Amino acid sequence: MKRVAWIYHPDYLLHTPPFEHPESPERLVAINDHLGKAGLIERMVPVTPEYPEDADILSVHDREYLNRLETACRRGDLTLDSEDTYINRHSYNIALLSAGGAIAGAKAVAEGTVDRAFCAVRPPGHHAGRSVGMGFCLLNNAAIAARYLQARHGVGKVLIVDWDVHHGNGTQNIFLEDPTVFYFSIHEHPTFLYPGTGRRWEIGKGKGEGTTLNTPMAPGAGDAEYRTTFEQTLEPAVERFRPEVILVSAGFDAHRDDPLADLQVTDEGFRFMTRHVVGLADRFCGGKIVSILEGGYETSSLTSCIEIHVRELLDE
Amino acid sequence: MARRMKKNIVTVTPSASLFEAHARMREHTVRQIPVVSGDGVLVGIVSDRDIRAAVLPAGLVPGFTAEAAEKFMKSTPVERVMTRKVVTATLTDTLEDAIVLLHDFRMNALPVVDAAGKVVGIITRTDVLEAFIDALGVGEVSSRLEVVVPDRPGTLAQLAAIIGSFHVNITSVLSTRHVEAGKRANFFRVATLNIGPIRKAIEEAGFKILDPSQFLLP
Ligand SMILES: [Zn+2]
Repeated sequence: MKRVAWIYHPDYLLHTPPFEHPESPERLVAINDHLGKAGLIERMVPVTPEYPEDADILSVHDREYLNRLETACRRGDLTLDSEDTYINRHSYNIALLSAGGAIAGAKAVAEGTVDRAFCAVRPPGHHAGRSVGMGFCLLNNAAIAARYLQARHGVGKVLIVDWDVHHGNGTQNIFLEDPTVFYFSIHEHPTFLYPGTGRRWEIGKGKGEGTTLNTPMAPGAGDAEYRTTFEQTLEPAVERFRPEVILVSAGFDAHRDDPLADLQVTDEGFRFMTRHVVGLADRFCGGKIVSILEGGYETSSLTSCIEIHVRELLDE
Repeated sequence: MARRMKKNIVTVTPSASLFEAHARMREHTVRQIPVVSGDGVLVGIVSDRDIRAAVLPAGLVPGFTAEAAEKFMKSTPVERVMTRKVVTATLTDTLEDAIVLLHDFRMNALPVVDAAGKVVGIITRTDVLEAFIDALGVGEVSSRLEVVVPDRPGTLAQLAAIIGSFHVNITSVLSTRHVEAGKRANFFRVATLNIGPIRKAIEEAGFKILDPSQFLLP
């Protein structure tokens, strides 16, 4: 069995929607309950996230954006930048703590106190850009963790595997011209799904050309298409890139029961993806994986897929 | 037309050499150049294909060298190879006119001329595609909805009102005929990730949301 860090904080529940919204604290409550009942939390290593240092957030986001977010929360605004991205008076702090959760997972893995980490954080992050919040995301947790590993632990090359059903436009933009962070995304085709980016020819720019890889899936695609993409597209790219750590932007909204998209991935699809990424990590980066929660909005499939995900990480 | 055409047009005179015209095309990365008389009146259009076609036969002669090709291009005036019957657009034409002209006459570019016949702009297939990309809302952060509605007045307004009730902006709308008789398909791009409740409200109002996986069936 592997040592897997379990990153969670009760304050993550304080970021609550002012109106009915799919990205709600109940997601984490359900995950926590489910993993607890399955006896999995006691088999992981609990790690309490801390508030991150300014420098770790500023490695990704503009100071001006952080000020704007903080002011909007303090002022009592209901949304930030777009109508779908809500905030309340806690959201600035909780967004920092969410990023802190990704950092805590990265730290535990980098220092070797655990083999892998699962960060049950919210708000999610992969749509958040350098100076904009959108798509339920305020701070880009995965990007912040990648920069943290590079700045504090001497990590050179980081791979981000983003299997949330939506394209992580924020993460892609942040690392678009950066050859040291490889961004791979598998998502529903942008013609049909938010945010409308992640077409197959978006491959990075300048020095970062070739370290962005997008594999849009047609509506209706499922486990078979995902398997083919991981084996035939992701794997050769990882062999060429040779990452030192793998971060997973782990969204579970590609599941067939999720209401926000049109894909047909099943529980077994998520088992396959986790196992495949574990295999890649074992081959190229001493097994180092930091998995960070993104989307997933249907409670039953969200919790069962995360159970599978954690069991695969535990390698029991 | 005036809004979408390129105004900083590159032109040549009829007596300019093919070499000069070709150099200007490369410099400005364009594939065709309007040919104008001294007072700016359009007299023809010359494309990189016209130039290639003119040089090609000479290239078949034995002993023809790169220097000979250059000499040929430098000594041949544009008026010898340009197309004289040019399909043009006018400033009062619309973008739709341009699309139809480009399509029906199989053109790559239309010089835009004023009432005196002077060239004031040029509009290419690329400009038209750009207009389409804008109109479709491609690249704007948004979700897409496809709704089948009965072909009667007021349905689009009804849908817009439903979407509006969620305080969500519509970034693009398209309405087309649907395969089913008596129905239309309306396509919306809306600025939200949270598309579920909008879909549900539209279905509850009695409209049919198209299943995106159906679009990819042959
Ligand atoms: Zn998502």
